[in-house]
Amino acid sequence: MKKKKRNLAPYWLILPSLLYLALFFAYPMVRAFSLSVWDEEAVLPVRTEASLESEEAGRLHQGTQIELLGQQGNLLTDTLGDEVNLLTELWFNVTGENVDGNTISGWVSETRIRVREEAEDGTPLMGTVRRRLGSNADPLTTIFAEPSENAAEVGKVEASVEMQIVELATLEVWYQILAEENGQVVEGWAPSRFIQVFGDEVSGRIDRGTNGEFTLGFFEKMIEDRFFDPAVRTTLLLMVLIIPTQFVLAIIMALVIQARLKFNSIFLYIFSIPMGVSELAVGILFFSIFTQNGLFNSILQGLGLIDAAQPFLTADTRQWIIGAIWLAEVWRATSIVMIIVVSGLQAISDEVLEAAELFGAGLWQRLRYVILPLLKPSLQVALILRTILALQVFAVVIALSGGDIVTVLANETYRQYFEFRNANVASAYALFILAISMVSAIFYLRAVRTQQEIAA
Amino acid sequence: MSDQPLETAVPFDGLAHQQRQLRRQKLNRATTYVIAILLALWILVPIYFIFSMAFTTQEAVRAYPKSVLPLIPFSLDTMRFFLNSDGIIPGLINSIIVAVITLTLSTIIAAPAGYAISRYIFPGRNFFRLSILAVRAFPILVLSIPLAVLFIQVGIFDSIYSLAFMHTALALPTTILVIGSVFASIPYDLEEAAMVFGCTPWQAFRYVVLPLVLPGIAASAVFTFVLSWNEVFAASILTVQNRTLPAQILFSLSNSSEAYQFAGGFFMLIPALIFMFYIRRYLFNMWGQVTK
Repeated sequence: MKKKKRNLAPYWLILPSLLYLALFFAYPMVRAFSLSVWDEEAVLPVRTEASLESEEAGRLHQGTQIELLGQQGNLLTDTLGDEVNLLTELWFNVTGENVDGNTISGWVSETRIRVREEAEDGTPLMGTVRRRLGSNADPLTTIFAEPSENAAEVGKVEASVEMQIVELATLEVWYQILAEENGQVVEGWAPSRFIQVFGDEVSGRIDRGTNGEFTLGFFEKMIEDRFFDPAVRTTLLLMVLIIPTQFVLAIIMALVIQARLKFNSIFLYIFSIPMGVSELAVGILFFSIFTQNGLFNSILQGLGLIDAAQPFLTADTRQWIIGAIWLAEVWRATSIVMIIVVSGLQAISDEVLEAAELFGAGLWQRLRYVILPLLKPSLQVALILRTILALQVFAVVIALSGGDIVTVLANETYRQYFEFRNANVASAYALFILAISMVSAIFYLRAVRTQQEIAA
Repeated sequence: MSDQPLETAVPFDGLAHQQRQLRRQKLNRATTYVIAILLALWILVPIYFIFSMAFTTQEAVRAYPKSVLPLIPFSLDTMRFFLNSDGIIPGLINSIIVAVITLTLSTIIAAPAGYAISRYIFPGRNFFRLSILAVRAFPILVLSIPLAVLFIQVGIFDSIYSLAFMHTALALPTTILVIGSVFASIPYDLEEAAMVFGCTPWQAFRYVVLPLVLPGIAASAVFTFVLSWNEVFAASILTVQNRTLPAQILFSLSNSSEAYQFAGGFFMLIPALIFMFYIRRYLFNMWGQVTK
């Protein structure tokens, strides 16, 4: 059956799938781990001067309260993203006459120039120096050698003088901040984009950091989440309800198929229809049955068992919702198990079954001592597959309960990502589901060993 | 279950025993029919009900109590209302594109790997098999969120192609295992015999193995199509504007009328009905004994 040969061929054959799985499985898996335990914005290094090159004065955690001591513009080196708190200043490189009538050129803040002429795309070309207001203010405007108020002075210009605007520079505001964390006082500079300034303009907080830090905070947040407990309980309850029912039903279906009745192909077709039906469609299907003016109520009323339509899918009737989800999942996913079991039954030779029958074994005895043991490998595959799928029940729950009254782990993952925009806690939920899947897969692999494995 | 009791089974009071056995077999057979019909009804009744809701007037959808037998007025009203709703037709097109890309990509990538694990013994084979199994155990949710974060960073978020890549990753482990088991079901002796008669390994594969495994590979492609078509979670996380059909319906579920929901539910079901009917032949090829 297998070729005893050592060459490179098999490695070439599996290479594409290995590469694909590395990119779309290994990477996301690692990333999910890092998302759930690594807080990328936990720590902000504070600099001794308003420059990223300067030394670190200390580190502050996200959320620390700070005092603002001062601010300064600093040439923006990166492109602008959608940074929340980013505060910028615009500086112009201008050419014009100074107080002595000489032409000078240098940098001046945009706030000192009234733009008079613009290019078609809005780039300012020419402007006049603004008048300073207030009686004791310096009537002259200083021009600097660099786009910074700390730079050397090039000269001074009078108000209303026309200046040609040669170049623009965007500065990011840096704040000088003072804070105390864990008994240590940190004083230094940090870019405005990481600082949230409060209304009083003298205090604020560290909005986010640049350096990551290991944290269990996301898992804590998950466990403290008010939906966590009900989600775990419902998910496990559904697993316990769905899987055994499904296997019993699937084995019955498979035996019916194996009995080779007339119209067998039609029965097989009907039994395998749900396999191709979307989870959401099944949810809607059972919603249409259990909704207040649905099929179930109509039948009950038709039989005279109730006088008016009963509400089944409401907050007061959680057990009915769980029951409906249970039926929906059994309806939907039994086919896959049935097909795995049928193909397992096909592998059992007719001789073995006939022999058992000839020796007087009844249906139950044949099932217990011949069929089920030989089906073990198929059942193992089906069990693992079904458990993992049962843990991911999601659309059925939303269709039947709206996702609030009855909730499951997969639904909470979706809620955290989609409603709360929290990829970290969502990843924590996902990893929790992964952990349950792994534990149950290992359990099945050990509990339902195939004969070859025991022999080996 | 054989229809004629064999001679060896007949004890010395032969005839009476044989008759008893025959009677018991007939009874068993009747019971099996009853069970088969009950099971078929369990599957068909909900489908019939949602069908009758999808093809009726909107008043009939709201009516209570509903007539259970086919007395509900037939009308294209509900279905037309659903198809004309926002985003349904584009969602349908997206769903089909994603599913077709997924099944093509995953079959092309998985077939060689399936062949390798069933035909060669090589160092690392067991490790590969185990990793495939382990990878199969990874719930889709674990992948969706980091991939969404990645796709946003790379700038291919909200694209049906990135969703197809994701679905391929989901389908790949199963496809490898299924194709592997399909190859394993063809004895290597056949290939060897072909080679003894002068075929090259490629020819042995092309003319002996391939025709035997094609139905199985087709069935696995069908599994993949189903997986992609049915997939709701990743589709609703990875797409915003370019939703697939299930994602679109899920998104508008809470603020839509029952007419929309029922028609949508049945519409998502139609491909399954046609599709299982169409691949019936492949299923029968795969399990040849069943239809005998």
